[in-house]
Amino acid sequence: MTAIRRQDRAGYLFLLPWFGGMLFMIVPFFASLYLAFTDYDLLTAPTWAGLDNFRRMFDDAKLHQSLKVTITYTVVSVPLSLIVALAVAMVLDRGVRGLAIYRSVYYLPSLLAGSVAIVMLWRYIFGYNGIVNDFLAWFGIQGPGWASDPRYALSTLILLHVWTFGSPMVIFLAGLRQIPAMYYEAASMDGASGWRQFRSITLPLLSPIIFFNLVQALIASFQTFTQGYVISNGTGGPGESTLFYNLYLYQKGFAEFDMGYASAMAWLLLVIIAGFTAVNFLAARFWVFYDN
Amino acid sequence: MNTIGTTVGPTRRHLLTLAGLAATAATLPGCGRGFGGGDDDDGRIEINMVWWGDAQRAEFTQKSLDLFQTANPGIRVRTEYQDSSPYKDKLAARFAAGDPPDLMAMRFDSLREYADRGTLLDLAKHAGALDLTGLTEPARALGQVGPQIFGVPSGLNTISFVVDKAITDRYGVSIPDGDTWTWADLSEFAAAVTKASGGKVYGANFEPWTVANLLVFARQRGEDFFTADGRLGATAGTITAWFELTEGLRAAKAFPPAGFIDQNNGASPAQSYLAKKSIASQIIPSNNLLGYNQACGGNLVMLRIPGETARRGQSIDTPALWSIAATSKHPDETLKLLNFLINDVEAARVAGATRGVPPNRKIAEQIAPDLDADNKRATEFLTALQNEKLPPSYPYPVGASKLTNILKTISTEVEFGRLKPAAAGERFITEARKEING
Repeated sequence: MTAIRRQDRAGYLFLLPWFGGMLFMIVPFFASLYLAFTDYDLLTAPTWAGLDNFRRMFDDAKLHQSLKVTITYTVVSVPLSLIVALAVAMVLDRGVRGLAIYRSVYYLPSLLAGSVAIVMLWRYIFGYNGIVNDFLAWFGIQGPGWASDPRYALSTLILLHVWTFGSPMVIFLAGLRQIPAMYYEAASMDGASGWRQFRSITLPLLSPIIFFNLVQALIASFQTFTQGYVISNGTGGPGESTLFYNLYLYQKGFAEFDMGYASAMAWLLLVIIAGFTAVNFLAARFWVFYDN
Repeated sequence: MNTIGTTVGPTRRHLLTLAGLAATAATLPGCGRGFGGGDDDDGRIEINMVWWGDAQRAEFTQKSLDLFQTANPGIRVRTEYQDSSPYKDKLAARFAAGDPPDLMAMRFDSLREYADRGTLLDLAKHAGALDLTGLTEPARALGQVGPQIFGVPSGLNTISFVVDKAITDRYGVSIPDGDTWTWADLSEFAAAVTKASGGKVYGANFEPWTVANLLVFARQRGEDFFTADGRLGATAGTITAWFELTEGLRAAKAFPPAGFIDQNNGASPAQSYLAKKSIASQIIPSNNLLGYNQACGGNLVMLRIPGETARRGQSIDTPALWSIAATSKHPDETLKLLNFLINDVEAARVAGATRGVPPNRKIAEQIAPDLDADNKRATEFLTALQNEKLPPSYPYPVGASKLTNILKTISTEVEFGRLKPAAAGERFITEARKEING
């Protein structure tokens, strides 16, 4: 008994920082809920505005644009990055010599990609006079400004996101290691092709991991901020092509003295993410397979 | 090194090292860019001053502050500076947090956002502590809202066109007379540079979304971009003409092609396309001549904005105003510092022209002989304009700070041919009206 209790104590001790952190979360959490129903310009005290902020959302074209950008980004980049992550994980799972090195090399971008320096570098590589266009020039092609042309800027950021496949890859790799080798042996003996084995063994047994990665990636993707901020210097440009939801929220709150509206937007985002996640969980019943 | 692994608890050596580090750390503040932390119990009053700019400006600013602190040993000035675009956001956040700086650089387009909400000290009520009699009437008007004064120009500047003579000489293109050239002359000149260089250098570029540029263009057409009573005075026709002008320049190859310029390239002279020698001329604020000329190799020629002959568009402006927070705990000391920055000849001398020509005209004349060549040129450029009859400049109305982003979006659409200039004019007016009442 005492041993268990001591263990409990240790557990709570480890949780302590989290509780501490929660305090810093809870106050802003409720403050923003209140502010969402006020008119608040940061400089003077907030005044009650009822549902005004939410009503304004219906004819805010920039808000709709930011939703379009964010959803496009999510719908395209999340599946792409998961497919790449799974493919690379499967190659590495074949037993490559120096696995630890490859794993680290592929994981590295996901540590760096949110960083300002990498996004800056990305801008230079994909600039009008950047490396990509230098390369195209060998073939006599004058490429566009991949980051400065509103037609391509978002695609460039999607590519940056896909490049950060490292963290789902590491999780996939762990998942692949969990699948008992005997299933594959038995399937080979029955003459199942590699594709067949992938479809009938790997995918079903890996589905809980895929599901986990999907939920994680989806939530993170909706919260994208840094990439858009750095590539456009906070404007969401060129045009409004990289106006991520959170970037617009930030603009409203801190640059346009409209913190009440920004708070309302934060709550709308919470509802949207919760909605997508709920749909995800409902759909999971039909395709996620638990082995036990 | 191996003592870390083998000993438990602090040894004497560790303690000594720590003491040494602490002593080193104690000598560090004085670097200017600290974020507080200094001890307050030495009896000195600390005031916090923030501005935007680069390391060069910080160096000049610190020199004037050192003079102030020597003259006023009871006051310590804690400074912070950063790039202009994050500065804007951070300033708002500091006000929201109830911790505004005492003295701050205020963007010309944001003055009324703050002033109209009662967050700034009315300097007109402190005429005893802050002497503004040395400023000319147009200079004082820059921070004036009705009978109240919420900002003092930190310096005076205007926009100007700089041309890299090294490039034009190499390609044998002569630079037009900057006092009389027209927009058509600009197009012809810039297109000639592009052509002579075989497309290696584009003749010119300037930002269509910079309100200060558009403001001059609107005045040349006889319109006040913002009216004196704080409304939007520009018409859709003027915005349309502006975009027809920039797209005309692009079509003539006077400007680089769409997408060539990354509009978020960064604000410093060293990062500019002019310094990279991919363009031969651009518009800069006149107080930045020194920085640009250093970054470009020392051959910049300074011209007026084209089209100034028929009707004047250029005005005397300020790169930043100095404002004091209404809730400052040390208003007297802060006023003293501001008064020093504006009216002390030595403070102005060491600061040079990093924020433009000193707003106090007498001081501007006194320090003029000591300026280095570039600052002298920029000063003479501005003084010549000051002696002419120019349209007045006054604070932008509330909401004006949002127009840059609107213009940026629209000009990108125009640049890539997704919006015709006529539609762009209409769209700008519609969106700008939403932000500026009236």
